[in-house]
Amino acid sequence: MNALKITLLALIAILLVVVVVDRSRQPAQLGELNRTLQALTEASRAQTDELKALRQQVASRPTTPDPGPRTPDPSSGNGNPALGANFLMPYDRSRYHPEWQGGTLRSFASSPKGLNPFLDNSSETSEVHGLCNDSLADRPAWAPEKWMAGLAESAVITDDYRTYTFRLRSGVTWQRPACARDDAFAWLRAEVPLTSADFAFALRIVLDPAVDCPQVRTYYEDLEKFETPDDRTLILRWKRPVYTSLASSLGLSPLPRHIYGRNRDGTPIPEAQIGIQFNKHWFDDLKGVCGVGPFQVVEYQQDKILRLERYPGYWGVPSRHVDRIEWMLDVKQPDPQLIAFKNGQVQAFGLSPLKFKSEVLDRKEPRFAAVDPANPKAGRSGELGWERTKRLAFSYLGWNQRRPLFADKRVRQAMAMAFPKERIIRDVFYGLGQPICSDVHPDHTAYNRSLVPWPYDPARAKALLAEAGWTDHDGDGLLDRTINGTSMPLTFAIKYYANSPEWDNTLSIFRNELKALGIGLDLQTYEWKEMIRIYEDRDFDAVVGGWGMSLDIDYFQLWHSSQADVPSGSNHCGFKNPRVDELADRLRTTFEAEARNAIIREIQVILHEEQPYLFFRSTEGIFTWQNRPPGGKPVEKDRWLAGVVEDLDGLHPLRNRAQVSWHFVQP
Amino acid sequence: MTGYLLRRMLFLIPTFIGIVIINFAVLRLQGGTLAEELSQGTGEAAGERRQQAAAQRYENYLDRFRRSGNDLPVLINLRGFLTKADLEADLRALQPGSGLKDSERNRREKDLWLLGPAAVRPLAEIVADPALAALHPTASQALTLCAYTSVEPRAATTLPPPVLTAIQERNRRLRELVMDPRDPVTADANRQALVALAQDPAYNRDDRWRNVLLHTGFTDFCRRLVTGDLYSETKKRYVFEVIAERWSVTFWLNTSSILIAWAVAVPLGIRSARRVSSLEDRVTTESLFVLWSVPSFFVGTLLLHHFCTADAGGQAWFPNKGLSSPDSLWWSTPAYLLDVLWHAALPLVTLSYASFVSLSRYLRADLLEQLHADYIRTARAKGADDDRVVYHHALPNSSLTMITLSAGLLSELFSGVLLVELIFSINGLGWLLLDAALQRDAPLIMGATVIQVGLLLVGILIADLLYAVADPRIRSRYA
Repeated sequence: MNALKITLLALIAILLVVVVVDRSRQPAQLGELNRTLQALTEASRAQTDELKALRQQVASRPTTPDPGPRTPDPSSGNGNPALGANFLMPYDRSRYHPEWQGGTLRSFASSPKGLNPFLDNSSETSEVHGLCNDSLADRPAWAPEKWMAGLAESAVITDDYRTYTFRLRSGVTWQRPACARDDAFAWLRAEVPLTSADFAFALRIVLDPAVDCPQVRTYYEDLEKFETPDDRTLILRWKRPVYTSLASSLGLSPLPRHIYGRNRDGTPIPEAQIGIQFNKHWFDDLKGVCGVGPFQVVEYQQDKILRLERYPGYWGVPSRHVDRIEWMLDVKQPDPQLIAFKNGQVQAFGLSPLKFKSEVLDRKEPRFAAVDPANPKAGRSGELGWERTKRLAFSYLGWNQRRPLFADKRVRQAMAMAFPKERIIRDVFYGLGQPICSDVHPDHTAYNRSLVPWPYDPARAKALLAEAGWTDHDGDGLLDRTINGTSMPLTFAIKYYANSPEWDNTLSIFRNELKALGIGLDLQTYEWKEMIRIYEDRDFDAVVGGWGMSLDIDYFQLWHSSQADVPSGSNHCGFKNPRVDELADRLRTTFEAEARNAIIREIQVILHEEQPYLFFRSTEGIFTWQNRPPGGKPVEKDRWLAGVVEDLDGLHPLRNRAQVSWHFVQP
Repeated sequence: MTGYLLRRMLFLIPTFIGIVIINFAVLRLQGGTLAEELSQGTGEAAGERRQQAAAQRYENYLDRFRRSGNDLPVLINLRGFLTKADLEADLRALQPGSGLKDSERNRREKDLWLLGPAAVRPLAEIVADPALAALHPTASQALTLCAYTSVEPRAATTLPPPVLTAIQERNRRLRELVMDPRDPVTADANRQALVALAQDPAYNRDDRWRNVLLHTGFTDFCRRLVTGDLYSETKKRYVFEVIAERWSVTFWLNTSSILIAWAVAVPLGIRSARRVSSLEDRVTTESLFVLWSVPSFFVGTLLLHHFCTADAGGQAWFPNKGLSSPDSLWWSTPAYLLDVLWHAALPLVTLSYASFVSLSRYLRADLLEQLHADYIRTARAKGADDDRVVYHHALPNSSLTMITLSAGLLSELFSGVLLVELIFSINGLGWLLLDAALQRDAPLIMGATVIQVGLLLVGILIADLLYAVADPRIRSRYA
């Protein structure tokens, strides 16, 4: 009897739960249904509009023969900045194969804080805007040091690289934002053409001190004025001819004035309040993104998903072949991410050196192809593909040249010869990364190929130290030298940040090497906050560091002697060299590519000789993706991508992982 | 009974206040400084600093710092009593050659900027004094930044437009007035303008006595807590909005794992106690102890690797992430519930195994003690059968221990749920809290902790209620 009662009660409870849950799911279902319906209504309305426009066009069709497709500006250049005439390469999408178009690319990303292009400076936000918006000129993936026409058909630089005049492309219209489906935003449904005023609006926002975007503003602080003589002309005038203003001018993206200049109901915001309202604009609350680019954000749920879809009304040819891009934001830990990748939930993923070792080198995951020393592309053939990708970043050991020990060039050179770079890269980083001899990436056009790396040669290092006065006088096994009457043993400390097993291993190898030479090395680890203080106070003998570089090389910040003495300057090692100062100053005002490369090569020779840093390795990662299972069972739609096409080889080697994934295709 | 309930609920209030105070104190002790905010703001991500010029718009950083409520003194605000002499000494220490390290000077300069409106008048006196010309550049910069008025995101939409425009206009003027010693003519004009601007009624110090206790970091925190104005800089949203989206997942994971723990622990404990010293009892005890000593993050990772990874056929036994399938919204409700159960199975196992192990052992020990008590012997002597002795006499007494343990279980689970959320990629409160801690987002940590404490207190209240149900002594005392 009791059992019957309990069963009955349990059944009633389950029924109750089902009913309650059912009721609670209804609003969500209705909402979703509503959204779908609205999207359908919107689509049919857009079609009606288009039909109307077409009818009008047909009715008003001129009897004169068609002038044919507009010919590109005949005066286009080779992409290298030059004075006087348009230097942009013509808009070129010959690498785009329409027959490859399609499919979804899913990958992991971390949640962007917000999607405002100026207020949120995370790399994810700028990637979203790179997909949804275009800039005046582009750096094509196969030749990133050149400039190609984008929203600007032509760019003319005059006035000794101070004035930039852009002629904008016509017929570009702003995307219709996703929120326009809602009737409350019916005023957003009209088609808005892109004009020079949208670029001026972007600059006005960036330069408005009330706007919370100091990071972006730095790039435009030297801008003297900007003018829009007509809808298709934009003129920027800089106070000084500085090389960095080139990228700031050409890379400028427009900002939709018809959205950020208006209130929620479509009425204009008073001019004086635009800046402060921009910081908390209703469009950002709706997680809206509006650009003139190839993709559109269709869904964004923080910590869940960000979904981008190809925008049908795009003015040009997109740079990626996929139709949809989905960022899974819900898996954050590397281990669960790897499992989700293996389960086929994402198509693209990156491996750390340690995971590369266990999954690929040790063959823990047999679906990855084995490493083949003879064939660098061997990783592409497995069921799961992998490929090395290079990053424009390097790591180093910095010697504090304010300390007497490292003020001596010979000691720094001896350190370079006592550091077994190749062996460490092979054993600690499993071959990921290239040994470097200067701060320019070996694949960069400005890299000086005549540099001969310091060899790993402990005997020569010892001789060099002896030359500098460091020998073992007292026979205690440690090198020493008499300074001011007292005998000083040769010992120093390297400070580096905790939680980096790779550096732990690297430095203990180095410590053994130095011990054999008679040098004592003390390893000290710190939290990152404390490391910042150490850099700032120059409170170190030697320190581990890393720099992310840009393709536009600038030597002022890192190596100019003036930066050694300003508070929080980046020349924390105190490197001072009059010739480097002179060259760095000259580089800032030199615009011609060859002249720049000549200066950069000369600086590299000096840096290599002076060894202010022990330049260690350029960063490399492993990029992995899903290939179609060879002979496998039929797969779910959109679950697999066909792998990397040969276009991967057509890429410039320094385009990072994000760009590699552009070249995924569906056959 | 109402008296008992009321008394229990009243006890919760001071506990809650005490916890809020401790929470605030701990966070303020480790709290960052504006100097750190500035150096983080210039793009120095961990491990690799980006090559870019240092950002120079200090007001925006000041805004951010003020929004996180870190600019005010902790408990006593004496800024209204700052004099010209105090600030003069501070400014002298900042001059080059004063023997301070760069980082220290940097920090102290930023601390000066945080003094806010109260320091405007004394700084203006310094700027007006020609004898202190050497201090003028630093003083005028500090003055413009102290006089700068931040507008909170919510206020930008609620303040009347004329007020907003006036504030903006004053801020804009301030920006133009920094004195540059290389340009003596404008420097002098700027100086006079700054002194005049400092006479703005916004900078009077009439309420300094009130402010001593009422305008401090702690009162500001409490105000934000009550009005819901806590703002998270890393999420760019108000804290309670973020928490509202997340708490339900954590809450139901926690509650169901407690229910599961009870459902397993009670029968297991009773069975063990009734068959004490038998082979079965020894085997369960030993194996449960082994299970207990395995940490839950380890078990979770093992489960993930072995049950959630697709085999050669492309199928896994359990899903590896989330609490429901992406398209489950359109499934029928029973199918949806089954899907949720399927997703929640491994997280619940990971969450509950440690608690049911310990609960069942406690219950066993307690029940054994009860079974040897005199009243049990009496019951047996009166002819009660074994089942009645255990279920009717001994178990209700043992359940008191269980209730006590369960109240604590809720907070214990909270830390456990964090690991489970990370391993099985579930978007809950624990994950949010970890994120906030790693990014040093103090308002978010405080908000989430307060919610967590709230849950814990609710747990304790429920436990108290259950005491009353289980223990006739309490009922009779408050009858």
